[in-house]
Amino acid sequence: MLARAGARLLVVAILTAGARAAAAAPDPAGSPTDPNVDAAPSPEEAAFPDANFGPHYTIEEVRVTGNRKTKTDLIVGELAVLGLAPGAVVDASDPRVERARYRLLSLGYFLDVQLSVTRGSKRGAVVLVVAVEERGTLVINELFPATSEATLFWGGADVSETNFLGRGINLGAGFVASTKPVVPYAHQGLGLRLHLGVPPLGGPNGVGLSVTGLYNDGSEFYRVSGADSDPDPGRFVATRVQRAGGVVTAGKTFPYDLHASAALREEWVTATYPPATAATAPIDFMINEGSSRVGTIALGLDFDNRSDPVLPRSGMRAAVSVEVGSALFGSDYGYVKTVLNGSFYLRMPRGALGFHVFGGVVDGVAPYFDRFFIGDLDLLLPRRALGINFSTQPAPSFLGSSLASQRYDNYAGRLLIEYAVPVWRHKGLVYGRDAFVAAGVLGMTNDEDSLTSPPWGITGDLGIRLDTYVGVFTISIANVLSRSSF
Amino acid sequence: MLRCLAAAVVLAGALAALPESARAADPVPQRDVGFGVKNGHLTVSVGLQDLFGDAERARLKSGFATRVLIRAALEEVATGDPVAVAVQRAEIVYDIWDEKFAVRTSDGMGAERRSVVATPEQAIGRAAVLLDLPVIEGARLRPGAAYVLAVRGDLDPISEDLLIEVRRWLVQPARGQRRLGAGDSFFGSFVSIFVNPRIEDSERQVRFASQPFIWGPAPQPPPAPPPPKPQPGRFR
Repeated sequence: MLARAGARLLVVAILTAGARAAAAAPDPAGSPTDPNVDAAPSPEEAAFPDANFGPHYTIEEVRVTGNRKTKTDLIVGELAVLGLAPGAVVDASDPRVERARYRLLSLGYFLDVQLSVTRGSKRGAVVLVVAVEERGTLVINELFPATSEATLFWGGADVSETNFLGRGINLGAGFVASTKPVVPYAHQGLGLRLHLGVPPLGGPNGVGLSVTGLYNDGSEFYRVSGADSDPDPGRFVATRVQRAGGVVTAGKTFPYDLHASAALREEWVTATYPPATAATAPIDFMINEGSSRVGTIALGLDFDNRSDPVLPRSGMRAAVSVEVGSALFGSDYGYVKTVLNGSFYLRMPRGALGFHVFGGVVDGVAPYFDRFFIGDLDLLLPRRALGINFSTQPAPSFLGSSLASQRYDNYAGRLLIEYAVPVWRHKGLVYGRDAFVAAGVLGMTNDEDSLTSPPWGITGDLGIRLDTYVGVFTISIANVLSRSSF
Repeated sequence: MLRCLAAAVVLAGALAALPESARAADPVPQRDVGFGVKNGHLTVSVGLQDLFGDAERARLKSGFATRVLIRAALEEVATGDPVAVAVQRAEIVYDIWDEKFAVRTSDGMGAERRSVVATPEQAIGRAAVLLDLPVIEGARLRPGAAYVLAVRGDLDPISEDLLIEVRRWLVQPARGQRRLGAGDSFFGSFVSIFVNPRIEDSERQVRFASQPFIWGPAPQPPPAPPPPKPQPGRFR
């Protein structure tokens, strides 16, 4: 009864807080049966009608303490964006002070940030002291342990140092390696990435630059016999494909949650076909034999106003990108790849409903690794790791679906609906736990004529998503069926 | 076959997790609350000084405002319906030249009370204590009905607007450094999850529920041979 009372309090608080912007509100106040999920105070509750209280200060100097690694200029620059710089006047109850604290915390470099003032040269003049407590900034972005019928094991990790040299530079590296696939003529897989991203030039609202270098040496598998639904690796042959190159990206964040980017990509590719005797019929390997080059330029636009990056309850994210491969950029492959990706979240009484839409078109002749891969779209199949596929598993056939023969295609679409229910919110190592169920349809084809009735399939998942101190982990049926972790 | 079995185990685990929510919830502690009647209103008195730990006390001298928000809701035990909510907000500012604490409080009705005190304890006493806070007109309560008060105190609560803004910052942790998707998931959205601390909606929280109490005289039983026993928490 007492627990219920605790929860009801928050219901009352919401009811009396007046109208709120439901679409933009953060996570829900919690259901009446879960007193752990509390409501954030409304603006009316959290602040006095008259914001001014206490003395006014004129900032003489900004002093940063506790930053053994992070450069002072970086911290001072973040404060300056909010107008907290020498010469500025600030009130004791100025909301910019709190915003500055959370802006610095959201960089991810600090465990804690506290702002205070000490006496300056005369009454009213102060030194703004920013005390920071730094944290480790080496992070694991992704882990790749998995297995398939074709490849006994592949694994690797993707790690990055997000505050390299204390200058907010993101330096990352990733690798994936595999045992030799049992597909004839296959080669042991190895993928490497190096990434360097510098903070936006000219301050937080400037243009950010990043460079990613890649090296892949792996195999791709092509069916030579058997039914489309047969994953037996002996019914496939493999090419060996080596890729080396990189991407240079410039990005800028605009007001209204908009981010734009432009990227130039250059890759040198060497493909070795299996012997002609390995197949009885001609195979479209979707890659030029011998040496070739991929050169593209890409533009992207990304709108993101989700209420939470991890477990969103409202808002949306929509991204569109157009990548053009052309001889102008030294490419042997001429194509235009357009991708639209959208996620929309609706708050529900017990959780949130998410609609995920994906659509992509490749017009022209793209190398197979730039086409849409079934494993990246079907939740029940292993996805590529650093762009390398290690599986011969076809899409499962449910209810007469016809996707088993599709692997790399020029047209792809997917609609996924997910319902997530928060089952736990807590302080500690595990912040939250959502149970989720997802179901959707996807279609893929290489044939423009079949766009009106493309091969289609259904996909879905059911499990638990954990938001923890060390990352997000998903324990689900798809993990098991695709033999991949998290 | 093995994979189907494993999938079934995962499915069972996922389903089992759903009803666990209620069990996983921390029980709300109980704290004695003083109830009274003033000018026809039910009033409550209780201290939340434990909102301030040692670090929070030390930060009172930062020169910037420290805010306290206390929300109290009255619920009828029988129906579980919330019947009223009261709010007290307070702000403490240390004057680094006069070396005194200025405190202002408001019960949400608009009127502000301001005072200047010398010590952190006095400031906390003004800001984090409910003293005869009116909750609801007594006439709106049902005589004989049992009620309980649920209280939540927040230190430096973050407004919804700022919380939304912070969460958006978390989406783009290394601002301006996002890259285009190039066919793989390298440096994907997981960055924000690993890098950023969880942002709570206040610095520190205290939550508790009062002892239950019965409002007004209980209905008299018709014959009533034995006199009714006094009930705990009864007043008026």
